[in-house]
Amino acid sequence: MSNAPDQAALKRDNVLWLLAAMAFVIAPHAERLPLWVSATCIGVAVWRGLIAWHGWKMPHGLFVAGLAIATAAGTWLSYSRLYGRDASSTLLILMLCLKLLEMRSRRDALLTVFLGFFLVFTNFLYSQTVLMGLYMLICVWIFMGTLVGFNRVGTQASFRERALPAGKILLQAIPLMLVVFILFPRVSTPLWRLPQEGTTGRTGLSESVSPGDLNKLIQSEQVAFRADFKGTIPKNNRLYWRGPVMMEFDGRTWTMPPFPGVQSIQTAGIEAKGDEIDYVVTLEPHGKTWMFALDMPLMLPQDSYLQTDYQIRSSTPINALRRYEMRSALNYVLQRPLSPEARRRFTSLPLNSNPRATQFAQQLRANNPTDRGLINATLLLFNQQFIYTLEPPMLGRSPVDEFLFDTKRGFCEHYASAFVYLMRAAGIPARVVLGYQGGEINTVGNYLIVRQADAHAWAEVWLDGEGWVRTDPTAAVSPDRIERGMDLALGPVGVLPNLIAADRLGLLRQLRYTWDAFNNQWNQWVVGYNTDRQAYFLQNLGIDAKDWKQLAMWLMFGGLGASGLVAALILLQRRASRKDPALRAYEKFLTRMRARGVDRLPHEGPVDLLARIGRERPELLPGSTQVTDLYIALRYATPGSVSEKDPRLQALRAAVANIRNG
Amino acid sequence: MQLQIRERIADWIYRAKAPETPPVILVQRRIYIVPTRHGYLFAFILLLLLLASINYQLSLGYLLVFLLASIGGMGMLHTWRNLAQLSLSPGRAEPVFAGDTAQFSLRLGDSLLPRYAVAVRRAGGDAEYADVPLGGGATVTLPVAASRRGWLRCGRLEIFTHYPFGLFHAWSYVDFGMRCLVYPRPDPGAGSLPVEAAQHGEGTSLMPGEDEFHALRSWRPTDSPRHIAWKALAREQGLLSKEFMSTASSDLWLSWDHFPGLGTEERLSRLTFWVLEADRLGLAWGLKLPGTRIALNVGDAHRMACLEALALYQIEAPSP
Repeated sequence: MSNAPDQAALKRDNVLWLLAAMAFVIAPHAERLPLWVSATCIGVAVWRGLIAWHGWKMPHGLFVAGLAIATAAGTWLSYSRLYGRDASSTLLILMLCLKLLEMRSRRDALLTVFLGFFLVFTNFLYSQTVLMGLYMLICVWIFMGTLVGFNRVGTQASFRERALPAGKILLQAIPLMLVVFILFPRVSTPLWRLPQEGTTGRTGLSESVSPGDLNKLIQSEQVAFRADFKGTIPKNNRLYWRGPVMMEFDGRTWTMPPFPGVQSIQTAGIEAKGDEIDYVVTLEPHGKTWMFALDMPLMLPQDSYLQTDYQIRSSTPINALRRYEMRSALNYVLQRPLSPEARRRFTSLPLNSNPRATQFAQQLRANNPTDRGLINATLLLFNQQFIYTLEPPMLGRSPVDEFLFDTKRGFCEHYASAFVYLMRAAGIPARVVLGYQGGEINTVGNYLIVRQADAHAWAEVWLDGEGWVRTDPTAAVSPDRIERGMDLALGPVGVLPNLIAADRLGLLRQLRYTWDAFNNQWNQWVVGYNTDRQAYFLQNLGIDAKDWKQLAMWLMFGGLGASGLVAALILLQRRASRKDPALRAYEKFLTRMRARGVDRLPHEGPVDLLARIGRERPELLPGSTQVTDLYIALRYATPGSVSEKDPRLQALRAAVANIRNG
Repeated sequence: MQLQIRERIADWIYRAKAPETPPVILVQRRIYIVPTRHGYLFAFILLLLLLASINYQLSLGYLLVFLLASIGGMGMLHTWRNLAQLSLSPGRAEPVFAGDTAQFSLRLGDSLLPRYAVAVRRAGGDAEYADVPLGGGATVTLPVAASRRGWLRCGRLEIFTHYPFGLFHAWSYVDFGMRCLVYPRPDPGAGSLPVEAAQHGEGTSLMPGEDEFHALRSWRPTDSPRHIAWKALAREQGLLSKEFMSTASSDLWLSWDHFPGLGTEERLSRLTFWVLEADRLGLAWGLKLPGTRIALNVGDAHRMACLEALALYQIEAPSP
């Protein structure tokens, strides 16, 4: 009998619950996992289910060990390593699945559940949305229900007997969780260095751009970042969100140099003209290091640096939501002398890559002695002869030539690329800037949503006496794109916008904005809750916690308060349920009788009281007789306590209720 | 070793010397609670998750850790509540023969909330589990091997639970002074009953049904209902018992002296066998032990009196 708890833990229903919990928690990983991993997991789960169902024998330990080694090797083959986010979560999933085949005692079963919480955690490495949070709450619920089943020894827990206690305790735990979440001191720097990892499956700008690259991005409705402005949101045509800057060209693809150099923001030569704009950017994880700011930034967020190409880079890849405050000048002068070496660099082109364009540029140069004139002539040409389209023809070996002289149809990166090529060929230093342009104003939350669809490429040229000047050739071709945004320039993209376009009353749009505003709040207050936000929030609450010691004090009191409150509620609830439901109904009857002038005397039993009612208030006798008979039957003629489902109890309650009405 | 330390601690915690009077309600100060080994493991896992959350700066990771920790804390309250206010009362332990298993029972009384997997165990024994339904009760029976005759004491009982999550061990002790009478183990080596003293031939007069009606006498409370003279009662002669006299019975004395040269326990075992045998055959018998003499009689009460005398021979009666 000493292994009764062991036997109880490994009962069929318990194993099936554990399998369900595992399936739920692994499911969000499925799209990222190699096919063989998913297949192995499903196979193992089905096998373990059958073992539990039919009472088959467990596989031999050596066999499971062999499988473990094989799957570890498989993971190494798939990821070419065993550490890092993807590989290690895959390994954890596989090992936990195999653990199911090695689950021989209550200890094993409990350990599997505990390690299952790690799987919940791994999901947050990929997504921290509201929906993921809620989904994982359900997963924790199932795991806790599994634990409840493990700890029922002797009898089997029904579905309700697992789900209800687990769910109740889950709800009871939430106040304390919130208090601790708010007050637990946050550390702003990681404890140890995380392995840098290439990102898979994340959409966003990349280190290089060649014709057609941005097309895919433009189709994506995914949010790149959100920006909350302190004042009014500037006009669309002034919203140039600077991203990676490309300065090397191989004839087809623009790339950025690996180490462009770092400069301090004070000595970067950014001269603000006019108003400075304050805003907060909440950047979605994109796996790269660039951080977006409006041209030109006047400050730097924490843990970031400014490159000589005025690009802000984070010191670590942005793998989690990052929230930072920014200040920018929309009117600015970027005037710093350009060294001869830099001039050479920004005018260099591969030899003989696009000969027709080179020749055309020299011709332009001859016709336009000033740089300004040359630029305007080029933009005019674009404006008059070129078409802006999302579906440009494919380009071959000399894309600039083909685009300029043959197809004449293209997208922002075509224009930026061709423009910078022409400038360089004409001897004007120039570079391609990637980033986002514009954004969508969420009228519900009054902030700007910038989506991948807002990805854009433009050019910067160096003019003597003016410094670096932004020139957007796309604006010359399709002014709408810049002034009013993507949707209006090209019509809606994707399925959702189509629906929204059909949404005459604007209800869908309103709903979508509300949902996005909610997500934004979630990002700001939950996902982006860090040291700064905590300090700000606590200050607003009137909690003065200057250092972690004070915070720890508050945490202790808050935690005690929250848990004490819930504990008190739980214990009070027990008091209330202590009374027999029949007695409670009868007490209600007594209150009603008192209101009608018949007060029960201390020595009177129900029958005596009824007799007196008959004497004093005969009109109440029929109803009272019914109540008294039912009460006596329930209270004195029924062994044990009264079940809530007893029809007589319901009849008693109805009879009591009738007295008020009668 | 570990068990001994635990027992020591238990002795220290549970200082009540005298057996308690039932029912005992497990009030707050009687219930102790500590994390189980799995509770510590859970805490360790949470610590790892917390470190990971800090390092990856994952807010939802923090939420997960705090949620699980809060669930653990609330679970502690529920584990405690699974025992709190439980009422306990001892059940009757029927006498057994040495070598058999005594069944001590404990009633977990009318509960105001459903309780699950409440376990009861004796020091060093295996736990028995029971669920206590809302408004009802449950009885837990603890089997204990009875090796020697005399009084078998149940001793202190530990009532504990790990429900709902197995992270905490809540427990309490109770000692009702429950005891079970253990009769000597019957030894068939005693041989057939000592009827040679009878005046009739062997065997003939021993069979049941051959008892001869002897006389009517006034009824005594120890008389078997089978022997009540119902006809006399119907004739309104009062409650009378029919007195049977087996021809051999007048001399069937089961005596200590039948087994010269044997040790005390052997003699008791053999006498026990004879008592059972005589009872089985429906004979009237008397028992003679040094210092004790039980008169000739028949019936269940008589048998039990004899067995008790055998069980407790030279054993001090414990204070009740």
